[in-house]
Amino acid sequence: MGNEGKLKDLLSSWEDTYKKGQLTLWIFLSLRESEKYVEEIKEFVETKSNGTITCEEQSLYRALRKYEHIDVLKYELRKGMKGPERKYYYLTDLGNELFNRFVSRNISLLYSEEIRKFLKS
Amino acid sequence: MKAITPCLLRFALTATGLTIIFRYFLSFGIEDGSSIAIILSAVSYGIAMFIGGLYFGRKDGAYLPVYDVGFRFHFITYLVHNSVSVLWFAFGLNSQYEQIETVYATAIIWGIFLTIHFIFFLWARKNSINSLNKEDLFE
Repeated sequence: MGNEGKLKDLLSSWEDTYKKGQLTLWIFLSLRESEKYVEEIKEFVETKSNGTITCEEQSLYRALRKYEHIDVLKYELRKGMKGPERKYYYLTDLGNELFNRFVSRNISLLYSEEIRKFLKS
Repeated sequence: MKAITPCLLRFALTATGLTIIFRYFLSFGIEDGSSIAIILSAVSYGIAMFIGGLYFGRKDGAYLPVYDVGFRFHFITYLVHNSVSVLWFAFGLNSQYEQIETVYATAIIWGIFLTIHFIFFLWARKNSINSLNKEDLFE
């Protein structure tokens, strides 16, 4: 196996591990933008992550049910443009606070001057 | 805690149906003195309940992974089985050779195991947030 092939395999393996746990962050990000129904969340996640994060609607529904159960998000039934009523999800105060703390502890540090220097080099 | 999920309700209905069928064949077997009918009904009931619990339990986990170490399904099985058994006697559907004391004794002995399961359930709750496993919360 050439170096390029090995690099591809290593990158794919690292990304597989990295992506585990990413869905929550992307769901929260999409709901920070605005209230959304499932298809909109899915579209946001796939578009904004440049297709690196993909999710089945089933796993999205399951994740949303769990987050609703732990009170970090809620939904409101609203008539869609066409068809039946849709569940529009939004972050609760608890969800927003959880997101803020998660970002400040885990994401913001990537934007520190020191770390940014390493990311650029 | 959202303890009563759609799958749990479906399981309760299935368990009620299976228990009624079991009680019918059990009483028939006892009345008729047929050991084969008694053994067959008990074994079939056990297998059917196990398959039902497995099927609805898995579906329930996929719907919302409540971390209860199977306690809700066990509790429902206990309630359904013993309620149907008591009602079976109340409506006089039992065999003349059956005794209500057997039903009470079963409920008491089973109740001890259910209590032990409940202790495990309380212990498992320590590792959960709103009844969901802390380690399986975010994906």
